[in-house]
Amino acid sequence: MPALLVVLLREADGPAFTPFSINPGVILWTVVVFLLLLALLWKFGWPAILKSVEDREKRIQQQLDEAERARAEAARLLEEHKKTLGNARGEAQEIIARAQALAEKERQGILERARAEQEQLLERARKEIEEEKEKALLALRREAVDLSIAAASKLIEQNLDSAANRKLVDEYLDSLEKRQ
Amino acid sequence: MIQAPDIGKVIFEHTSDSHVVELPFGLGEWHLPTGWYVFGVDLSPTKHVVFMVLAAVLVFLTVWYAGRQVQRRQQEGKAPGGFGAAIEAIVLFIRDDVVIGNIGHGGEKFAPYILTLFFFILYCNLLGLFPWGATPTGNLAVTGALALMAFLTIEISGIVALGLKGYLTTIFFVPPGMTGALAALMLAIMTPIELIGKLVKPFALCLRLFANMTAGHFVILALLGLIFIFASWGVAVGYAEAPRRRGGGE
Repeated sequence: MPALLVVLLREADGPAFTPFSINPGVILWTVVVFLLLLALLWKFGWPAILKSVEDREKRIQQQLDEAERARAEAARLLEEHKKTLGNARGEAQEIIARAQALAEKERQGILERARAEQEQLLERARKEIEEEKEKALLALRREAVDLSIAAASKLIEQNLDSAANRKLVDEYLDSLEKRQ
Repeated sequence: MIQAPDIGKVIFEHTSDSHVVELPFGLGEWHLPTGWYVFGVDLSPTKHVVFMVLAAVLVFLTVWYAGRQVQRRQQEGKAPGGFGAAIEAIVLFIRDDVVIGNIGHGGEKFAPYILTLFFFILYCNLLGLFPWGATPTGNLAVTGALALMAFLTIEISGIVALGLKGYLTTIFFVPPGMTGALAALMLAIMTPIELIGKLVKPFALCLRLFANMTAGHFVILALLGLIFIFASWGVAVGYAEAPRRRGGGE
């Protein structure tokens, strides 16, 4: 590599530059430029980005926590509603059963009463009929007696003098006497 | 046949520092002032210093603009998006996977430093990809200064975190329960190793960055130099006959 030799020899003459030379001035420049850049970015560059990112991270975390809380709350409410619904259903069943029992009892009672009343009515009707019959018989008998008396009186008026009739009355009177 | 240029010289001149900045779009060259001696140190700016300052300005503008955008969207209650979100993704990657991933809990306070370092080195590296650009990180003085600052940051924060006594045990280390001659032997062996161990990482990283940048440009320039050595575009498609025919034609 003659070129490398040439360059290296030339550096021996004076402050010429090669890729491998170390210039103390450039070291100082680097330190100054880098520290200046670091200071500027530390103040104006990184906080803007890093703070925004941290804020965002915090916000997302917050929202995640909140979502978790809301989920738990919703689950709790659902459980509660389910329990309430079950209770209500049981209560309704109970109410219906109780109403059914009550209605049955009422029906039985009404039937019982109706039957008794009917029985009573029948009894009374029968008694009345009996009484009426009794009364009618009595009246009929009285009428028959009256009629027979009238007929007898007519007969008596016509045949009182006949000997046969006299005999008949005597006999009758005898029978009456006998009966007593 | 035309004279092949001295590609090695071109590569060295392009990669090394100088007092001349090439300007794009045919604007010529910018000759930087020389001879700023302060206490015997040449503080005159060089090409790499110019590009370093340019990188720093670009980094500041990028981060500042991105931060403003992120903040504005945050305040407006919008989801992140746009240029700010792109920079934010890089920033978050560095913060969460590089800084906190390597330093562990409590590494957040080093995030601004590491982020600045990352973007500064990134922009310095990228500036070298412009045809008239130069890579400040391809200069041992630049990487050396960054390594020095990193070394000081590490050791000073070590002293702050552990206290001076605790920090010294990271250099003069005696395993618990070891006393007497064995402890002295342990100290004699381990102390240089611990000291070297503290220096090795910044030193190795300084050399690695410099070597990668320089070697990368060497490779690019060497491949581009093939064009001028063969004086033909034919090399691009592996058509090696081109220079011979051209030489014969003249």
